[in-house]
Amino acid sequence: MRTFRGGLTIGLAVAVLVAAAAITYERYDTKTLKRTMRRGEVLCGVNKGLPGFSNPDDKGNWTGFDVDFCRAVASAIFDDPSKAKFVPLDASERFKELQNRKVDILSRNSTWSMSREVNYDLYFPAVAYYDGQGFMLPRARKIDSALDLNGSKVCVQADTTTALNLADYFRTNNMTYTEMKFGKPDDVVKAYDSGQCDTLTSDASQLYALRLKLSKPNDHMILADIISKEPLAPVVRQRDDDWMMIVKWTLYAMINAEELGVTSKNIDEALKSKKPEVMRLVGTEGSYGEDLGLTKDWAVRIIKHVGNYGEVYDRNVGADSKLKIPRGMNQLWNAGGVQYAPPIR
Amino acid sequence: MTNFRQMIWMLIAAFGLALSSVQGHAQSRPDADEPGLIADDGYQLDPEWQKQVVYYRSNEAPGTIIVATAERHLYLVQGNGRALRYGIGVGREGFQWQGLVTITRKAEWPDWVPPPEMIARQPYLPRFMAGGPGNPLGARAMYLGTTVYRIHGTNRPDTIGTAVSSGCFRLVNNDVADLYNRVPVGTKVIIRQKPEL
Amino acid sequence: MFDCTRRPFALLAGILLVLFVADSPEVHAQTLNAVRERGAVNCGVGLGLLGFSSQDDSGHWTGLDVDICRAVAAAIFGDPDKVTFVPLDVSTRFTALQSGKIDVLSRNSTWTMSRETSLGLMFTGIAYYDGQGFLLRREAGIDTALQLGGKTVCTQTGTTSELNLADYFGAHAMPLNVLTLSTAEESRRAYEERKCDVLTSDVSQLYAERLKLAVPDSHIILPEIISKEPLGPAVRQGDDQWFNLVKWTLYSLINAEELGVKSATIDDAPRSTNPDIRRLVGSEGEFGQQLGLEKDWAARVVRSVGNYGEIYERNVGTQSYLSIPRGLNALWTQGGIQYAPPVR
Repeated sequence: MRTFRGGLTIGLAVAVLVAAAAITYERYDTKTLKRTMRRGEVLCGVNKGLPGFSNPDDKGNWTGFDVDFCRAVASAIFDDPSKAKFVPLDASERFKELQNRKVDILSRNSTWSMSREVNYDLYFPAVAYYDGQGFMLPRARKIDSALDLNGSKVCVQADTTTALNLADYFRTNNMTYTEMKFGKPDDVVKAYDSGQCDTLTSDASQLYALRLKLSKPNDHMILADIISKEPLAPVVRQRDDDWMMIVKWTLYAMINAEELGVTSKNIDEALKSKKPEVMRLVGTEGSYGEDLGLTKDWAVRIIKHVGNYGEVYDRNVGADSKLKIPRGMNQLWNAGGVQYAPPIR
Repeated sequence: MTNFRQMIWMLIAAFGLALSSVQGHAQSRPDADEPGLIADDGYQLDPEWQKQVVYYRSNEAPGTIIVATAERHLYLVQGNGRALRYGIGVGREGFQWQGLVTITRKAEWPDWVPPPEMIARQPYLPRFMAGGPGNPLGARAMYLGTTVYRIHGTNRPDTIGTAVSSGCFRLVNNDVADLYNRVPVGTKVIIRQKPEL
Repeated sequence: MFDCTRRPFALLAGILLVLFVADSPEVHAQTLNAVRERGAVNCGVGLGLLGFSSQDDSGHWTGLDVDICRAVAAAIFGDPDKVTFVPLDVSTRFTALQSGKIDVLSRNSTWTMSRETSLGLMFTGIAYYDGQGFLLRREAGIDTALQLGGKTVCTQTGTTSELNLADYFGAHAMPLNVLTLSTAEESRRAYEERKCDVLTSDVSQLYAERLKLAVPDSHIILPEIISKEPLGPAVRQGDDQWFNLVKWTLYSLINAEELGVKSATIDDAPRSTNPDIRRLVGSEGEFGQQLGLEKDWAARVVRSVGNYGEIYERNVGTQSYLSIPRGLNALWTQGGIQYAPPVR
């Protein structure tokens, strides 16, 4: 009996260690930052090819809004945006690959929704891009509100939430429409371009990309109305709050930088600023970077290498890109949009 | 007909130039103000600078103009989270302040009397130029408060989206005429600059 | 010999026992389990802040912060009264959360970076967008802060309000005369005695201050907000289930308003044909289960406390003494920036 008890004690001790390891390492991974640092790069799951968001060129250089966010995280950690390694992922495998730790972060035009957080044990730390369903139509129709679309023939991809939202919107506003359904996005565009329907509906970011495929892009416009919510956000695993904080505050630092007027071009000047808000952002006051497990100048690294939120937006999807998507909802809260970051203090 | 008109404007411009100081010619000439040039009506603006309705939240009343200088956009608030957005060209060094002004006067095909501050910077400019298609103020002007600045048209649509003017806000002639018809004297104009460090 | 054969058995038994315990959801569901056992949510609130958390003579709590706690209780128990309110002052609020004395802090606390990264807390969302604004006499005929140039503004010494004020006036090239006083009380008195034209503080405070003036209605608060004070509920780090529960309770309030689901008509909602509504109230999908809740968790919340708009209007909006316009706290579809990710 004594020996059994002795065995049980030892057994328990060993088991506690094994279980502890299992908790911290196998199942409840809390060491993403440590492993990322040891590896020397951030593994980032991205879309295989989505203009403006993540797109590789012939030489394998990636560009895009989602891609730049990964570079921002890499910059915060390594002071080097090239320390982001891109792992192209399908829509169907993206969450599994994140759960299986094949990537440290998913930055792949993924909509933040409740089931994805609570069923997949993932977190969407903050909204990087407010997307939602909109309408494209010929400029010549001289319509500037979706409420004027009553009686329209609408091109839409079949069996999607897009089609459901469309039905809801028209019903709510007591309007009628004729649905022209197509299986593939390309067919939707072709049908619209050949004049088979009055308007085409899809997520706004998609509409701007689809417009480029039309024979005369400039003859078509996208309405300002957004009729659904598709908040796109980076994704991380649950149970690693330290890593979530890094991802969350990287995005917030970029938004705060734009709000404070700190850009990649004036970052050296910003380091000499005497404004407390700027000083806290660039680390000349406080220990905000250290508290994240990074360095004092974490935000400076982000802004220097990648730019503030507005710079990243303009370069990839906004004024300086081919897509030319107006800032709209993604403008700062004090300049017409809803982008808002809690303060660094 | 157009040739004749063009010639008249060229003559006026030449007259203006003759009046300007000799020293001015030695300076590099900013590409913004080209008195006498006739705007190309067929000029196609980049989509970013075309007039369009956009999502825009604001606590300002509908009808208020908000000029976002860093963005190169002028918003006419419509309410319901929308605004009419125009592309603009903005001041290179002028109009560095931000704040509130009102439209105090409106004029069609305004005459141009470059203010002394502008003459001091660009001495080659004419002292006076009558309104018309070759006038850098373009088709319409809306005067801002008691300042020397205004929202106006242009004979250089290619400068929309850039920072080259002397502090005024310029729109293409079609757009400025459209805006002109939408806003009365007394309209609130809020000018926003990029924050200072 | 005998020992050697038995030991591995014991060892294995021990390993299995611990692994079983470690693998059960209990490990990362401590807060919810504790709350269920206790039969109430321990909620840290303010000592008395009109509109946000205050207690009447009979001991009944009201306020926007208070109702957030009730919403969490309703989600768990279907009963908004299963809350124990713990009034906390500024100095003890975070330690009370860290030590486990409370499960959630809903006490007009600003979401800032250092509170998340160095206090081991997480803010679950923004329940109220606050920020610095201006109060002045209606007769001044001013309707935007950009017309305040040359006015004398009362503020308190050594506060961020003072810095923000100087920044804002400086940036807009408006001349500023500041009258600095040591307390909010003194500032208000100076304003009443017309020693200053304008009072500045966080907007929610200004509306409360206005009620203390002789004729509240002859004073207005301008719509501009010149600083960021996002107020929200906070929880401890390390309990994902609890974090998600509080977060999605807040988001369900906002989503309910956006979808037109309100307390008066909540019983009709499950029959709606709108899939967004059906998912929210649990007639489609399984959204509550993973939070450790019932299918109709969000319906319970709305039935008990109303949607976000109802909570706002009742406590700080048009149906309250404060009468704070929705402003930034209106939904994103209504001119504000309140936005919740979808339930789907």
